[in-house]
Amino acid sequence: MSGYVYWGIVLLVIVAAVVAVRIWLPEGSAGRRRLKWAIWALVILVVGGFLHYTLPQHDIVRVVNTYQERQDLDDWTRIFWASPDDQSTGLINRDVQFLQTVKANGKPMVYRNEDTGWSWPPYFKFDTANLQTEAEDLKSTAADPQWVSVTHYGWRIVYFSAFPNAVAIKPVAGPDVTIIPWVNIVILTALAVLLLLFRRMWLQFRERSVDPVLEDIGGVWDDVDERADQAADKARGLWGRIGGWFGTWKGKPRR
Amino acid sequence: MIALIRLAVFGFIGLSVLYLLLSVYSRSVRRETLEKTWDADHAEGGDPAARDAYIEAGMQEYQKGLRRKLIWLVYVIPMIVIAVTVYLVNYQ
Repeated sequence: MSGYVYWGIVLLVIVAAVVAVRIWLPEGSAGRRRLKWAIWALVILVVGGFLHYTLPQHDIVRVVNTYQERQDLDDWTRIFWASPDDQSTGLINRDVQFLQTVKANGKPMVYRNEDTGWSWPPYFKFDTANLQTEAEDLKSTAADPQWVSVTHYGWRIVYFSAFPNAVAIKPVAGPDVTIIPWVNIVILTALAVLLLLFRRMWLQFRERSVDPVLEDIGGVWDDVDERADQAADKARGLWGRIGGWFGTWKGKPRR
Repeated sequence: MIALIRLAVFGFIGLSVLYLLLSVYSRSVRRETLEKTWDADHAEGGDPAARDAYIEAGMQEYQKGLRRKLIWLVYVIPMIVIAVTVYLVNYQ
């Protein structure tokens, strides 16, 4: 099946779902409220999962071995592998380097070691061969452990043969060292600031550009009919009410 | 190479959208501040023509001001972040 058929089916399912919701869950019903919560939970889950996959994390491990293995990349699990260079998007298999490690609790952890290049996620990693060498150099045994902190992104999903991608490796004093995730603190703070900025921009846009128009329309309705005004009020919904609240402490309207 | 060009093109488009939105927002906030300042000084509303002139003068001041130029940081900061990331990930 071609991609268009898939997307056509997805579109049909979405349209069918919207129609079904309109018929079976009318505005204000308990079911509609529950659905709203469910959609919010889904959004938080997807965004949270995306950030958890993409942002860097640190593991304290002991490197035991490194290897290189041919990987088949022509099914959907391709999303768990990087695109180190331009040809790699077209290749159906290529060699990938791996780091075999053991955590402090004795459980194994295997990382892939791939360039991300200029593509997603934006780690701009080009030093795969160097990283492999460093890992090789830090190999140790259980009897004489050399603990290292591996910075990585991604998930280890055994069932899909998905591996987190190691980005950096550095020796640490022991298995219990605390690592403060500065990069995550900075990125999440920046994202929060951006989100608040967009919200503020949207509110400013409503207040300055949309509400004056709606107020004009409301004024006309006022003169014509009380009931029509109530209808317009209802149509304005939450944003109209927020705008109205802003209006109570804003100056004289601009001419 | 194509990935780098793609990043540059889409990055430029994305940052340009952000730049436009921010400059519109910043102008809007400045105009609102000017209106409020005038209205606070003129309880009766004052002369509408003088009010418009005051606001226009304030906006011309804004066009020359530092704040408008600071919006160019929208392009500069991501460039610096990318350069620093490339350095830290590959040469540290």
